[in-house]
Amino acid sequence: MNVWFRDLAMGARFAVTGGREGWVRTVLTAVGVGLGVALLLVTTAVPNAIGARDKREDARTDLRFSVTQMPKADDTVVVAMADTEFRGTSIRGRLMQPEGDKAPLPPGISAYPKPGEMVVSPALARLLGAEDSALLRDRLDARIVGTIGEAGLTGPAELMYIKGVAGLHPTGYPVERIDHFGNAPEPEPLDPILLLLTLIVVIVLLMPVAVFIATAVRFGGERRDRRLAALRLIGADGRMVRRIAAGEAASGALLGLLVGAGVFLVVRQAASKLELMGISVFPQDIDPAPALVAVVAFAVPAAAVAVTLFALRGVVIEPLGVVRTAKPSRRRLWWRLVLPLAGLALLYPMLGQGNENGEFNQYMVTAGVVLILVGVTALIPWLVEAVVTRLGSGPVAWQLAVRRLQLSSGTAARLVNGIAVAVAGAIALQMLFAGIEGDYTKATGEDTERAQMTVNVPASTETSTLTAQLQQALAKTPGVASVTPPLTSAGVGEKPHDANEGASFTSGSCAALREVAKLPSCKDGDVFAVRGASYDDSTDKLAKPGTTLYVDPGYDKVKGAAVPFKVPAGLKDARPRELPTGGDRGGFLVTPSALSEAAGATMSGDLYLKLDPSNPDASDEVRTAAAQFGPLINSHSMVAMERVGRFDSIRTGLFVGATCVLLLIGASLLVSQLEQLRERRKLLSALVAFGTRRRTLSASVLWQTAVPVALGLALATAVGLTLGAVLLKMTAQTVAVDWASVLAMAGVGAGVVLVVTFLSLPPLMRLMRPEGLRTE
Amino acid sequence: MSTQTAPAGSLLTAHDLRKAYGPTAALDGAHFSIHPGEVVAVMGPSGSGKSTLLHCLAGIVTPDSGTITYNGRELSAMSDGERSALRRSEFGFVFQFGQLVPELSCVENVALPLRLNGTKRKEAERAALHWMERLEVDDLAKKRPGEVSGGQGQRVAVARSLVTGPRVLFADEPTGALDSLNGERVMQLLTEAARSTNAAVVLVTHEARVAAYSDREIVVRDGKSRDMEPAL
Repeated sequence: MNVWFRDLAMGARFAVTGGREGWVRTVLTAVGVGLGVALLLVTTAVPNAIGARDKREDARTDLRFSVTQMPKADDTVVVAMADTEFRGTSIRGRLMQPEGDKAPLPPGISAYPKPGEMVVSPALARLLGAEDSALLRDRLDARIVGTIGEAGLTGPAELMYIKGVAGLHPTGYPVERIDHFGNAPEPEPLDPILLLLTLIVVIVLLMPVAVFIATAVRFGGERRDRRLAALRLIGADGRMVRRIAAGEAASGALLGLLVGAGVFLVVRQAASKLELMGISVFPQDIDPAPALVAVVAFAVPAAAVAVTLFALRGVVIEPLGVVRTAKPSRRRLWWRLVLPLAGLALLYPMLGQGNENGEFNQYMVTAGVVLILVGVTALIPWLVEAVVTRLGSGPVAWQLAVRRLQLSSGTAARLVNGIAVAVAGAIALQMLFAGIEGDYTKATGEDTERAQMTVNVPASTETSTLTAQLQQALAKTPGVASVTPPLTSAGVGEKPHDANEGASFTSGSCAALREVAKLPSCKDGDVFAVRGASYDDSTDKLAKPGTTLYVDPGYDKVKGAAVPFKVPAGLKDARPRELPTGGDRGGFLVTPSALSEAAGATMSGDLYLKLDPSNPDASDEVRTAAAQFGPLINSHSMVAMERVGRFDSIRTGLFVGATCVLLLIGASLLVSQLEQLRERRKLLSALVAFGTRRRTLSASVLWQTAVPVALGLALATAVGLTLGAVLLKMTAQTVAVDWASVLAMAGVGAGVVLVVTFLSLPPLMRLMRPEGLRTE
Repeated sequence: MSTQTAPAGSLLTAHDLRKAYGPTAALDGAHFSIHPGEVVAVMGPSGSGKSTLLHCLAGIVTPDSGTITYNGRELSAMSDGERSALRRSEFGFVFQFGQLVPELSCVENVALPLRLNGTKRKEAERAALHWMERLEVDDLAKKRPGEVSGGQGQRVAVARSLVTGPRVLFADEPTGALDSLNGERVMQLLTEAARSTNAAVVLVTHEARVAAYSDREIVVRDGKSRDMEPAL
């Protein structure tokens, strides 16, 4: 055992001694491993970060989603939702009116702001202080008296305000009375397909990192082999040199762990200043689970040692130098094919499972996808070797490249492994995303041609006056092209309480009513019944002249205004029309003269706005103008399509992760490339000495990279398409290939290699200087 | 005899060459001349500047000052591309080690300078085989450098240096990594082949035994050169 320790320690010493060359090699390994470790730690911290965000979000939940309101007490507070948007970014807004000394405080604040005051998140404070935020300052014009603490925010970049108000009446969502915060509903379980998607995203992102770490620990391999040969010369036997190599690899990896921990801490600290796709996290939230940290801390050095010993398996280190058999044995295909085939076999039982048959077996999915992707790394060396041995001679640059590939295709294959795995995974995921996108993207029905915004005025005795005034004000607001005449609406039933039949009750001028129905003719005093609207079979039953209906009837424990309305004898028929907000509306249309004041007081108001597309601030102008008429007036920007939030966040996660992974792999490629060039410094100088053009050598380096990259990407594309097809079959989707995105993925991979080759040209030029010939 | 004035009919001459690497002066006023078909040995202890002199003469390194004239043309007036072309077509090189491309077979290595000059592969390899025969290594044509001995590899390198029919052959310690028997054979073949083509040979060595193959010897010490008096 002592011998073991002695040899391992000697290896560790070699990792940090040996002058500049030794240090450079160790630093490269440590940086390479460190970047991989940092990415692993960040990835393993993501679930905790999301969990911490969700926990704080749950703790501040203030909506009860209940139809009944609790009685006023000294431990209650009335909360109104007053969210808004500024330049496309959401701002969480709450109006709060504590009703007693014991009113619960929301997380993150120590006292309620008084009416006319507000507390804001640090990010919102900065935004309000910005020079070009005048529109937002006009909208949120209360005096800032404090800052919302971290406990009340999901992330450091969240925009949020809590404003003190008086005179709020809890009428149900969005104005409610509560006696505590944190009444979060049970989260919905993640849809099986989304869970599958998440799993694949994580595997696809982590696999290239693992490949990258395996490459990083092989940096400086040739030089190490020569050093080991020198040790053989002075009496070390074969086993000893392997132990020494293991010690050297392990210490490089351990140093890498330290670098990784350092990079992780820096990234963690910097995270508070970053916001990606609307998500920001507090540094303390990026907290990987201890078990996962332990796995990384153990697995990385262990993998480093395993990879080193594996790499030494075909090398005989003799006292007079390193001997590699002149003709290495041909790579065998069968066991390389076993990996992806075993992966496919694991996924096979889940084909056609879809969304309806419960969850996918996570272990089988993980193992299957990992095996298929590992299969790529196993197949590439075979493919590169099989192809390059058949490549013939061409120009000198081509010949130099091909011969080098024929002699050591393994090195070249290792270079592209990471890229190939990333591309294969990305193609499969892209196919899966494209296939299931339809299920998670739905048309909102909103007609953005007819209107781009709606403004809603909550029901009150002043609704119609307020809506009319608002219409006039908005018509003059910069960026507004037109505003429809005001419409007000409520529900109507045949009984004052617990009506069996219910329909819409809409009021407005003839012009306004034409926005929601096709009217045969119209004059003030007319009342229409809109028959044949979707999901409406009540209008026919209610639209009987002489019948008394009740506007705003009560239901269950909720008391309504129940204002009587007699269906007039001259009731006209109208046909439904698609609304700007989607769908259509049946029920009754009432012109102003036919509407009683009492009924009008129960109705909420709506305005539809067309905006001037040339004014980028138009929607913010509208929100600010509308806010002057009351904090509960809701301005909504219309969109034609919307996606399920979780689908979007998985896609965002993939994008962010893929960018990090590609940068990492690009960096590793560059380091490996430079190292290979440095190893050949003397030869390059000799070639230049006898007149080889530099462009010939540059072209040979390019060919030497391009050939394995092209082969690797071709294989990656084939495997990616197969995996994508299998995943689509598993989700019971039609298999379709979006060739544009496949080409884009392969193109990105090729682009990374081209950039790396381009970046390695200046050092190549330097290495070709005659100084390389000097031996003294 | 001083070498300050170049003898008439010189193919390659250098005058008052100075070259420093950082604070260290590698050449400090060196002179040199060589005639066609002449073998000149450049001798001197390690670090004396003899390899730097060879690199300057071959246009690999640009001297800080001084002039080098090849066949009436000033080397320092040539661009890097022109000097490279000169090295490809008029000069040949043999180094101590690290000169054969390990991925190429021996015949491909020998054919490489011709191919760099645009000669077709088959033609270049035919010429390469001819020179390999003359250097007695034609049986190694298909082998890679890693599969042949040091002496054989060096003979392959000599064949490569002669394949373009150079007018000047630069040999930097060509036998430095060989045993005496192999070294002798390489020198014998190198000088015979050079003389048969009337090529001048600049032979950098610190071994008197190797220098004995030359027609004339110069010694470089502390960056200065001087002709060695012939032994009486």
